[in-house]
Amino acid sequence: MSKQPEEFLPLSQATYYILLSLREIRHGYGIIKDVEEISRGEVIMGPGTLYGALSKLEKQNIITKAKNDDDDRRKYYELTNLGIQVLQLEFSRLKSLVENAKYIMKNMEG
Amino acid sequence: MTVKKFRVFLASNLEKEEQWLTEMSRKGLHLKKYRFCMYYFDENLNESYIYQTDFRPDAEEEYFQLYRDAGWQHVGNALNLFHYFRTEADQSGIKKLYSDAESIKDSYKRMISFYITLFLLLLVSQIGIIATWNGYVLQYISLSIVSLVILLYLYMFWSFRNRMKFYKK
Repeated sequence: MSKQPEEFLPLSQATYYILLSLREIRHGYGIIKDVEEISRGEVIMGPGTLYGALSKLEKQNIITKAKNDDDDRRKYYELTNLGIQVLQLEFSRLKSLVENAKYIMKNMEG
Repeated sequence: MTVKKFRVFLASNLEKEEQWLTEMSRKGLHLKKYRFCMYYFDENLNESYIYQTDFRPDAEEEYFQLYRDAGWQHVGNALNLFHYFRTEADQSGIKKLYSDAESIKDSYKRMISFYITLFLLLLVSQIGIIATWNGYVLQYISLSIVSLVILLYLYMFWSFRNRMKFYKK
């Protein structure tokens, strides 16, 4: 039986950003650059970290190789339907974590 | 000019090897080839590189392409298991192949399962000697060599464990 999207949560910081960057089809280095941008320079991924994560995510069927028509030898990736569900679930999980803490944190600030 | 140096590093001391190669490069000696514990360096005082070693027995073209794109030059390999990469030391940006503790641990896990397989194969291959033991001198010699190798493996597993503990923190 295939795994339910819930079973992949919580995602690591690197995985979360990789999935966000695959909102568009990208190759490996494209993901590194995009993650740097969307994290506002906070996450600069090493190629070893990305390569390992891509193989793992592909095995888990969260991402898949995408067709690219130009004669670029690089491999391109996209989210699968499962990948989209995982990302959506993780986003709501993180959102509720922050929402639930908002009132409490405000009181702490005084 | 090429300089040759003999060094032995266990897989669990990969980070020590990286530090040594980077330090050599800072002094003007840049690794260009590795063969059986022999490191070949090119001398050039005007350059300096950061070196990294990556365990990747199943390296494909996609892997080398990604590392190239990210600014890492492939300089050689050890038995096609370990790959040596370098990047210019004065370039800005990340100077590590692995940027989080989780992926470093994953890389150690890959090494550990690879060496455990080798270790088990070694043990199994010795069954013959034990089964046909006649007390020949040659058998004693062979057994002592194998015992040394086993001790070396055990030491390596122990130091792998320490590396993993370090990154668990």
